[in-house]
Amino acid sequence: MLDIALLGFVAMFLAFGFKRPFLWVLAYIYIDAVAPQKIGWSVIHLIPLSLIAFIAAFGGWAVLDRKQGSRFTLRQALIAVLLAYCAYTTTVADFPVEALAKWEWVWKALLFAIFLPLTLRTRLRLEATALIMVLAIGTIVINGGVKTVLGGGGYGELALLVQENSGLYEGSILSTVAVASIPLALWLARHGTIFRPDWRVWTFVGGLIFACLLIPIGTAARTGLVCAAFLAVLMLRSAKRRFLYAGLGAFALVLAMPFLPQSFLARMGTITEHSDDESASTRVAVWAWTLNYVKDHPFGGGFDAYRSNSFTYRMPKVTGTPPNVQVTYETVTDKGRAYHSSYFEMLGEQGWPGLALWLVLQLLGVWQMERIRWRFRRSVEGTASWQWGLATALQQAQLTYLLGAAFVGIAYQPYIFMLIGLQCGLWSYVKRTAREAPKARFKRPGSAEALRKAGAAPA
Amino acid sequence: MVDILTLALTHGLMAIALWRLLWRDDLDRDGDTPRRPKPWLAARRADSDEAA
Repeated sequence: MLDIALLGFVAMFLAFGFKRPFLWVLAYIYIDAVAPQKIGWSVIHLIPLSLIAFIAAFGGWAVLDRKQGSRFTLRQALIAVLLAYCAYTTTVADFPVEALAKWEWVWKALLFAIFLPLTLRTRLRLEATALIMVLAIGTIVINGGVKTVLGGGGYGELALLVQENSGLYEGSILSTVAVASIPLALWLARHGTIFRPDWRVWTFVGGLIFACLLIPIGTAARTGLVCAAFLAVLMLRSAKRRFLYAGLGAFALVLAMPFLPQSFLARMGTITEHSDDESASTRVAVWAWTLNYVKDHPFGGGFDAYRSNSFTYRMPKVTGTPPNVQVTYETVTDKGRAYHSSYFEMLGEQGWPGLALWLVLQLLGVWQMERIRWRFRRSVEGTASWQWGLATALQQAQLTYLLGAAFVGIAYQPYIFMLIGLQCGLWSYVKRTAREAPKARFKRPGSAEALRKAGAAPA
Repeated sequence: MVDILTLALTHGLMAIALWRLLWRDDLDRDGDTPRRPKPWLAARRADSDEAA
């Protein structure tokens, strides 16, 4: 039954594309994020939905869509270079089979990020993309949030829609991406034209944000909590009533404390004391190993190069109850530990050139969004303009991701590359449509130039 | 049960959004996009007019 409903939805999605081919692009975003083929049980598993949507999106754009306004931006070129470089490192990878397995999804994510901005020619397309991205992540997040409230949480225990720790369905990845999506949801609630802002929209977005914040609790992923705190500070920068906002935030936190499960508080307590925590010490060891590894392999070891690592170290083990506590040291050996950080993932797999490319790609996005904010703050509408709002939301989402990325290996996460695609689309849209903000000129109001600008002929 | 309800909620909203997008002409073109100037096309048109 669920299979039929999901298949019916995808079929409707694809059928609508015949009238508006851009909907195929949205269909790919939906399928890539939600993975309906994994939610269903029988027939839907067998249909290559992602491939069909991929071909439809490309074909529809190439054959049926107008190209007016499509621009190829610098960051798309950077992704193309990164894609070519990853292709090269895959051919010389330390672990060819595993590298090829990762390459199979990475190339799609990168290629789609290059392609997506070409289709984002109108404001409504930017909005529709943001909306489908938010509703797609909302599908996973609301489900996880409700289950957390009903008491099904715990690290690696929260039963999401898909019983597979892959893609967006992995706890730490999901909590980072969920928190990063909050600014985008808020932008849609403020500036949406598909669903115009009213009490229903705000109720839904309020619930969605609540669910996003519940995900770090449900999955007990510490990264999510750090990201949420960081996002709260970031939002303070762009909030109109800062003190009210900060006060409300603190009040909500105090209210929420008693409701947090004990297991969550215990795990969050380990954020600051990483020395007796295996997960955290392994991270530090892997990062040190990666730095050593690139001394011999400055061009990286290809995807999954971490598999060759192995460390033995001593872990303190505390036994007994206070005050009779005994600390003994045990020798622990770990092999093939993943990077647990996107920065080290890039460094280990693609070497210094790959990391540099990736960093330039990310930081350029932060800078471009700041440029748009700067430009529109001085426009007639100012911070109430949708462009300012979207640039702010995309920048907040990206910065939140860049923080979460320090603790999770999500350097090539397709959802984040879609976010980058959205940034490229907004950047090229703004460059095309908005005139340069007038430079400051120190002329008296009554001067000839000021009068000419105001449309009146000088006397 | 939770799965069905949450899937129905977001998929329902997506379906409404898609339906609304179907009828919005500004999905494919909006007034803000000026045409790229094509001087070569104008020149060619002028040439063909002269030839006629």
